[in-house]
Amino acid sequence: MSAIVLVQELVKTYGNVLAVDGISFAIEEGEIFSLLGPNGAGKTTTISILSTLFPPTRGEAWIGGFSITREPMQVRRMIGVIPQEIALYEDLNARENLLFWGQMVGLEGKVLKQRVDEILERVGLVEKARQPVKTYSGGMKRRLNIGVGLLHAPRLLFMDEPTVGIDPQSRRAILDMVKDLNRSGVTILYTTHYMEEAQELSHRIGIIDHGKMIAIGTLSELIRQIGEQEKIILSFSEDQHLAPLVDDLNALAGVNHVIAENHSVTLIVDKAEEILPEVMQWGHQRGLKIRSLQIEEPDLEAVFLHLTGRALRD
Amino acid sequence: MKKILAIIRKDILLRFSSPAEWLFFLILPIVFTVVLSMGTPSENADHRSVLLVVDEAQTSLSREILRQLEKSSVVRPVETNRQDAEQRFRERKVEFWMLIPEGVTEERQQKGEDLTLTFYEQPNQTIALAARRSVQESLRAVTQSLQAAQFAVEQAEEVRPFENEAQRLAYYQEARSLAIRLQNEAPERLAVIRENTPDSVPYDPRANSSAGQLITWVFIPLFGISVLMVGEREGHTLARLMTTPTSAGTFLAGTILGQVFLALVQMALLIGFGMVVLKVPWGREPLGLALLLTASALSAAALGTLLGTMVRSTSQANNLSIMLGMVMALLGGCWYPLELFPQAVQTAVKILPTTWAMQGMLDLTLRAGSVRDIWLESGVLLGFAAVFFLVGIWRFRRQLR
Ligand SMILES: Nc1ncnc2c1ncn2[C@@H]1O[C@H](COP(=O)(O)OP(=O)(O)OP(=O)(O)O)[C@@H](O)[C@H]1O
Ligand SMILES: [Mg+2]
Repeated sequence: MSAIVLVQELVKTYGNVLAVDGISFAIEEGEIFSLLGPNGAGKTTTISILSTLFPPTRGEAWIGGFSITREPMQVRRMIGVIPQEIALYEDLNARENLLFWGQMVGLEGKVLKQRVDEILERVGLVEKARQPVKTYSGGMKRRLNIGVGLLHAPRLLFMDEPTVGIDPQSRRAILDMVKDLNRSGVTILYTTHYMEEAQELSHRIGIIDHGKMIAIGTLSELIRQIGEQEKIILSFSEDQHLAPLVDDLNALAGVNHVIAENHSVTLIVDKAEEILPEVMQWGHQRGLKIRSLQIEEPDLEAVFLHLTGRALRD
Repeated sequence: MKKILAIIRKDILLRFSSPAEWLFFLILPIVFTVVLSMGTPSENADHRSVLLVVDEAQTSLSREILRQLEKSSVVRPVETNRQDAEQRFRERKVEFWMLIPEGVTEERQQKGEDLTLTFYEQPNQTIALAARRSVQESLRAVTQSLQAAQFAVEQAEEVRPFENEAQRLAYYQEARSLAIRLQNEAPERLAVIRENTPDSVPYDPRANSSAGQLITWVFIPLFGISVLMVGEREGHTLARLMTTPTSAGTFLAGTILGQVFLALVQMALLIGFGMVVLKVPWGREPLGLALLLTASALSAAALGTLLGTMVRSTSQANNLSIMLGMVMALLGGCWYPLELFPQAVQTAVKILPTTWAMQGMLDLTLRAGSVRDIWLESGVLLGFAAVFFLVGIWRFRRQLR
């Protein structure tokens, strides 16, 4: 079996809350596999179980052939974990943090010092290395948080929403780093609720919602699942209260889903050119000024909408 | 083992990352120790409270009582007349005075009659309690010698009856003066007897303050282990640690041992200060001292560990550590001698490790005890440590699930 991660029927309950509900998947060595899902979908819970932070209520998983429940220490030696929440000592500086965490993954002496210097370089914190972490910007903390997970050069990396709450520049840097790591042979399990990230990075994507894996495959496989559908995005010039108006759109034949936002409405439709005249008429009747109109190939957003009837981003 | 050392090193860096830590580690403890050791009876000055004594009896027994009072470490007897005593007491110039009424004689005492001395005290004076205890102690010393003499006479009579009353009296006087002489000439033996009487107040502000402040300021940061534990949970570093090849046991060992190590260093520094500056005799029994300090630190560390599994936030842990530390130190006799508290309280506070730690330290300093004298205290403290550690570690592991 060449799967470096194999997950079977994982279940985790917190009291009455079913956080993970029978998830199964496999990750091949060398892949970037993304878990895409909205807030509370169960991404962090899944990653925590796979990193042996706590055992599953039911089910089992193997990392590099080691059972997460029976051989947690072997599993921990293989993996690098980048938690969603920044887990650093704010009163220590970057170097002290890296030295400490390096010792916790079993590095010591010269090798440790060398690795710490490499990581500081890699995450671009050489100049700031001797300032306490609490003086860092959000992006710098994120980068150091990632650096800690790379210390022992793990074969398998778990990254839990590493780009949450940072500026576009830092985000770009992180996404490039992920690709770079993967090119050098690291297998990556990446979670996100940004479909653009999943689309850009992943070899394969698992879509997760309410603790269930609702679809899994490459980007094109997933899009093929929803058939020949297209996406129409209408933008309006002024703030309109659109929500009460979209029911009518839903009623049109050939419209599968409607998402209303402040300035725009997104429609998932069977055939865009057939339905467009009716949509224009609908706008005209209600006195809405259409500023722009786009017709797009369906994306992960459309897939999620198709599968759940809800938008990914709420 | 290397990981434990790494955790200890990290915790030390964290603790001293703020210079304010020095305030709590050394500066405040020393300031409080010095302030509370003031009013110490130094070699030349007499700081004992004045006890006005009105002797209306003017018998050998009343003189003997006065002589005994002179030895008190709490009060200094000053003789005066009744009118003067009453007036100064009314004007609150003195906290207390004592009346030895007419008829306080050895004859009546020998016959077993009840002789009553009266002790007047101002309300709400803690020192009055100590003074009264000291007076009672002096009276006991007098009656003991009387009883010894009486006993000797009775014994002698049983063997061979006296020919007349004069002979009997002479024998009694001789036995009595022998008893007094024995009492005076063998102060060590007397001290041993006094040590076991619950009413005696072996109080030396310097030793009490040095030991009491040491316990207070070392116990609080040890309870602060709870702050560390909750901080690692809140800061998500505990979760990260539990995804590295580091066990929960290693984490706990490092976290606890680091603070215990710092506590031992802090205690060594404070004891050094007490010995050099305040001349508190800490150094009599280095082995016993080391045992007692380690046991004390472990008991506090264990309580801190348990606390760390029961509180929700670091601020809660912080407040609770300081509050518990202060309250336990106060009730454990670290700020005021425990002997000033009612007997019921003295018994109740035996459930606190601070009480045992303080008692052990006073045994070693004030009472010149040896290792044997602190077996009990050290044992009880280690018992506390074992219980708190067991429950704390069990709860911690369960919470990791
Ligand atoms: N410690 C906990 N106790 C109780 N419920 C929890 C706990 N942790 C998570 N949950 C619940 O489990 C579900 C899944 O949470 P999880 O954190 O795995 O989601 P997520 O996909 O990582 O979300 P996000 O994108 O917000 O990070 C949620 O409903 C959450 O409220
Ligand atoms: Mg999450």
